[in-house]
Amino acid sequence: MALTVPTRKPPTDDSATPVFAVDGLWKVFGPKADTVPGDPELASLPAAELRARTGCTAAVQDVSFDVRKGEVFVVMGLSGSGKSTLVRCLTRLIEPTAGNIAIDGEDVRAMDKSRLRELRRHRAAMVFQHFGLLPHRTVLDNVAYGLEIQGVGRAERRERAQQVVKKVGLEGMEQRRPGQLSGGQRQRVGLARALAADPEVLLFDEPFSALDPLIRRDMQEEVVRLHREEGRTMVFITHDLSEALKLGDRIALMRDGRVVQLGTPEEIVGSPADDYVREFVRDVPREQVMTVRTAMRPGDCGGTDHPGALAADAVVAEAIKVVARSHKPACVVEDGRCLGVVDHERLLDIVAGTELRKEAV
Amino acid sequence: MATVTAPVPRIALPGVLKHRAVHKLLLLALAAAVLVPLANARWASGSWPDALTVDLTDPLTRTSDWIIDNRDSHPLFLYFFGHVSNAVVLSVRAVYLVLLAAGWAGVTAFAGLVAWRVAGVRLALGTAAAFLACGLLGMWVPTMQTLALMVVAVLASVVVGAVLGLAAGLSDRMDRILRPVLDTMQVLPAFAYLLPVVLVFGIGVPAAVLATVVYAAPPMARLTSLGLRGADKEVLEAVESLGSTARQRLLTARIPLARKELLLGLNQTIMMALSMAVIASVIGAGGLGDRVYQALASVDVGAALAAGIPIVLLAVVLDRVTGAAGDGTPGAGRSGRAQWAYALGATLVVAVAARLLGRLDWPDAWVLNIAEPVNRAVDWMTAHLYSGVPVVGGTADWAGHFTTWVLDPVRDGLQGLPWWSVLLIVAALAWVIGTWQTALTAVLAMATIGVLGVWKPSLDTLSQVLAAVAVTLVLGFAIGITAARSDRFERLLRPVLDVFQTMPQFVYLIPVVALFGVGRAPAVAAAVVYALPAVVRITTQGLRQVDQAAMESARSLGATSGQQIRQVQLPLARPALLLAVNQGVVLVLAVVIIGGLVGGGALGYDVVFGLAQGDLATGLVAGAAIVCLGLMLDRVTQPTERRAKKGA
Amino acid sequence: MRRRTTAVAGSLLLLTVTGCGAADMTKQASPFANAQGSKTVNLSVQSWVGAQANVAVVQYLLEHELGYRVDTVQVDEVPAWDALSQGRVDALLEDWGHPEQEQRYVKDKKTITRAGDLGVTGHIGWYVPTYFAKQHPDVTNWKNLNKYAEQFRTPESGGKGQLMDGSPSYVTNDKALVQNLKLDYQVVFAGSEAAQITQMRQFAKEKKPFLTYWYSPQWLFKKVPMTEVKLPAYKEGCDADPEKVACAYPHTPLQKYLNTDFAKNGGKAAAFLKKFKWSTEDQNEVSLLIADQKMTPEEAAKKWVDSHESTWKAWLS
Repeated sequence: MALTVPTRKPPTDDSATPVFAVDGLWKVFGPKADTVPGDPELASLPAAELRARTGCTAAVQDVSFDVRKGEVFVVMGLSGSGKSTLVRCLTRLIEPTAGNIAIDGEDVRAMDKSRLRELRRHRAAMVFQHFGLLPHRTVLDNVAYGLEIQGVGRAERRERAQQVVKKVGLEGMEQRRPGQLSGGQRQRVGLARALAADPEVLLFDEPFSALDPLIRRDMQEEVVRLHREEGRTMVFITHDLSEALKLGDRIALMRDGRVVQLGTPEEIVGSPADDYVREFVRDVPREQVMTVRTAMRPGDCGGTDHPGALAADAVVAEAIKVVARSHKPACVVEDGRCLGVVDHERLLDIVAGTELRKEAV
Repeated sequence: MATVTAPVPRIALPGVLKHRAVHKLLLLALAAAVLVPLANARWASGSWPDALTVDLTDPLTRTSDWIIDNRDSHPLFLYFFGHVSNAVVLSVRAVYLVLLAAGWAGVTAFAGLVAWRVAGVRLALGTAAAFLACGLLGMWVPTMQTLALMVVAVLASVVVGAVLGLAAGLSDRMDRILRPVLDTMQVLPAFAYLLPVVLVFGIGVPAAVLATVVYAAPPMARLTSLGLRGADKEVLEAVESLGSTARQRLLTARIPLARKELLLGLNQTIMMALSMAVIASVIGAGGLGDRVYQALASVDVGAALAAGIPIVLLAVVLDRVTGAAGDGTPGAGRSGRAQWAYALGATLVVAVAARLLGRLDWPDAWVLNIAEPVNRAVDWMTAHLYSGVPVVGGTADWAGHFTTWVLDPVRDGLQGLPWWSVLLIVAALAWVIGTWQTALTAVLAMATIGVLGVWKPSLDTLSQVLAAVAVTLVLGFAIGITAARSDRFERLLRPVLDVFQTMPQFVYLIPVVALFGVGRAPAVAAAVVYALPAVVRITTQGLRQVDQAAMESARSLGATSGQQIRQVQLPLARPALLLAVNQGVVLVLAVVIIGGLVGGGALGYDVVFGLAQGDLATGLVAGAAIVCLGLMLDRVTQPTERRAKKGA
Repeated sequence: MRRRTTAVAGSLLLLTVTGCGAADMTKQASPFANAQGSKTVNLSVQSWVGAQANVAVVQYLLEHELGYRVDTVQVDEVPAWDALSQGRVDALLEDWGHPEQEQRYVKDKKTITRAGDLGVTGHIGWYVPTYFAKQHPDVTNWKNLNKYAEQFRTPESGGKGQLMDGSPSYVTNDKALVQNLKLDYQVVFAGSEAAQITQMRQFAKEKKPFLTYWYSPQWLFKKVPMTEVKLPAYKEGCDADPEKVACAYPHTPLQKYLNTDFAKNGGKAAAFLKKFKWSTEDQNEVSLLIADQKMTPEEAAKKWVDSHESTWKAWLS
């Protein structure tokens, strides 16, 4: 019963080549945009000042990160933080100004047109905020569109599209047109279209922010399910913190075109990098994010038998239930080994957010 | 970036505008104070000074003579225009032969079936009925001639328009070049297009078809470009993100996404082509227009009506069917294709059956002669209503009074003004309402008229336009305000407006000749009737789109309905009203020019004269003056930012 | 690759269709001609009723006696010359004298051939209604016209007397005449002959005075009797310079013209058109039937043909 709570997969080993490796990426809009990244003085200016000085807008400034195979990498930030520009730079829907992007070690910026098309066709597919469906085509033809562009024959692409349609739960609606669908259904079509090409990476650009809250939750669960089933790498853009915390294995938090913090949800919530992040995560229900691993006090559980033991990845909320029920500290176990114990004092510190200060003292 | 003047301050505009307007006027007054005495000292004359005119008669006559002499020998004609002309003749002939071979039954069946597939049963019945009516009126062959000409002209217009539209839609530079040209072409009267093509091709079907193409292609080009540019950015991005090539993007996304605009473009092109194909009877288009033209020349209202009714029917049917195609979703896949096949098959069967029965030509016995009863009615009207009706006076009396009390004073007033003051007025109006660029264009256009040496006739035409616009606006605003306040009235009005807006300009001349005789008054009357629907429609829409919250707050403050109109609706609907004025002016000019055929005189007459006497110099100069006048009137009434789509 | 193939095929097709190379558009017939396999004659009609009467009778005989199909196109005289030269129409049956065109097309280019007199003599002049001329006999001399200018005023003519002209297609020197004879008149164009006739009948009904450009033969004289105003006498060449004309219009024997190719290869139709010649009275008879009794041209022609067999038999022999 302790494992009904979603647990997070530990990111796969760091040594493998990342799916996306982004290094020092810049995107500047405006006249003579090229000169900005190279000029150390301009490059260090805040956005507002840069605009006043040069008339340029730096949407993405010196951003670096890796997306590891199989993880859900969330880029999160408020509107205008440059996150949508960033994701478009990955497949050069927007041409970056400076920096490096590599997919599986291959330089994306050096690709010629046909190689780039190949990348878009087979390796990275995108899901859009307002769906981007073709209104004159049926659901099935929309899903098969990517395959059609690749030159897949009619019968085959329809068959493959049919399978994907089934996978996203749109069976029976194949002949409808986008105009006849609800928002959630449309986004399922968008998702199916991206999946149909069987890409290595899925890119999501705020896919659910145009949907109602209830439908948004359904769709988030759909993504979690898909990820669990297929283990496909995903880059997910959102402005919704709870969505980021729910889906992300790692989160890059952006502000004014720069990444201000990159880490697991727990790291972001547990140890904000600066006041901006702290303010951002202030209202997060910490017991839902922090794990027992952070909360526990190292030590021995005293004995080999651990009734009511907690997994190290279990969230604090779960531990509170266990501790409250048994009125005594609970054991934290990983791989059958005891790591430490949590008691109600430790748990309360987490909920109150006071554990950091104690450690600092 | 485009010159987007933010729409935000528009509501607060009057105050700001007054301020800016005063500035502009002061500046202009300053310029005038310096320039006018200079100009006046040098060329002191009321009318445009002779010293400033350039007589183009000689060079134009020489050009025209040269063309006539070299038309059968010069390589330019042999290897280019000759082929163009040949292609037109061959294709019109081919279509015409197919139409004749299909026979009246086949054509009617085909038209009905197409309408059924595209627009449903009701329109299909309407279409078939319309074609039968053409036969019944004894106009089958002219109708087929007009139709053959239309088919070729529309196809060519669509191709030309779509190519230009693609260029403008895909390339920003082409868009910058083409847009002002297309915008300007849209405001020019149809009549102005006739002479240049006649100069090259001579009178006949090729000239008529080409004039029609030149006139009808711009809306297609504009709407194609608009559709391509208006496509949902995210859809295009999505399509690109899937790795499509540029060609795939165009064919599978941009063009299908622009479907609505493309079909609207087709619709407008067809309507304009019909309008022009009829007017082009003046340069030998033949068909229905020729019958109207002949009938007008002998004031045979009955015969004109017999040819005019098929034109109207054709216009309404074509408009409704293409309009329905634009609104509806396309037929569902395979079953749709099968039904098309059935439709074609059915047509073939009907055509063959008619052929076997020897019923290809419309049977003479089935012709209904409406000319006689109509003429009797007109005669009765002339005898009883025309003149000397007690108290109200007859229609001819009205026309006489209108001429004496309105047209003459306005014309004499305009012609009496010193030439520089006319330019000054034009500059002031255009600058206050628009930008300095529009003002400059307007003044240059007006000055060109003077330079061309047609100052007086142009002011005569202008006086007719002004009088007609004044009447149109008074009537149009009154009707528009009433319609905006009463739903029932609007419901009654709408079908009337719909029909009136689809009618070709030529048709309006028929009834006014019957009512008002011949002269400037009937030309003005025809112009008023033609321009009224658009003005009423734009006014009503503008008033109805006024922010409901503002209306509600006015009501809650206890404003009377008069106060509501004056203080809330009219000020808020100002942009729409300005657009209505602009449209009214453009439409009125188009018909006032055609009024040359019923005694309107001035520039329209010069064009007719040029055509009739083979004096292309006179005609071309008048045509150029019409272009300038149209340009000037459009700029003077053009609010800063032109709407993407026109009301008409 | 495929595109290039299409382009090549397209241009080849165009070449074959257009007959390889040069295309002389002056040799093109109307697309509506010869539509249903039968031999077709294209006649040009001018806007006045007399011309309609010629065409109506010719058309009737061509269709019913010779088995031709006839297409008519309304073209004014000057453009008709051009159309005739290009073969877009085959015949012009009533020409009021266009020396410039005759020089160019008949003498220089030889694309048009004269087809003899129509048999009708035309004369253009200025006319006042006879009822007015009887009251004021001296109005029939141009020198006294200024005296009456006041009475000829209308809303259209403004402060001057009105001299009414008709269709823009007619041969006219009136503007120059008014200026050169120093007359206090304004030339007002009615825009078409029909408009002019309507106006004249309106005036006649109310016995109002009017001065108008008019011509004979014309059926309207039977309905509204008119008297000619004497202008300075016509002398050969006095109208050579259109700017300086100050004399009356000549008496012109009206001419027929045919397209040269048609004249050579037109068979019976061309032979018939060359022989077609009738009198002023005949033409007026048909004109009256059309214009006054509102008969269709076909009915009017039938009526005349039925009662003048001997006249037209001669044309067909």
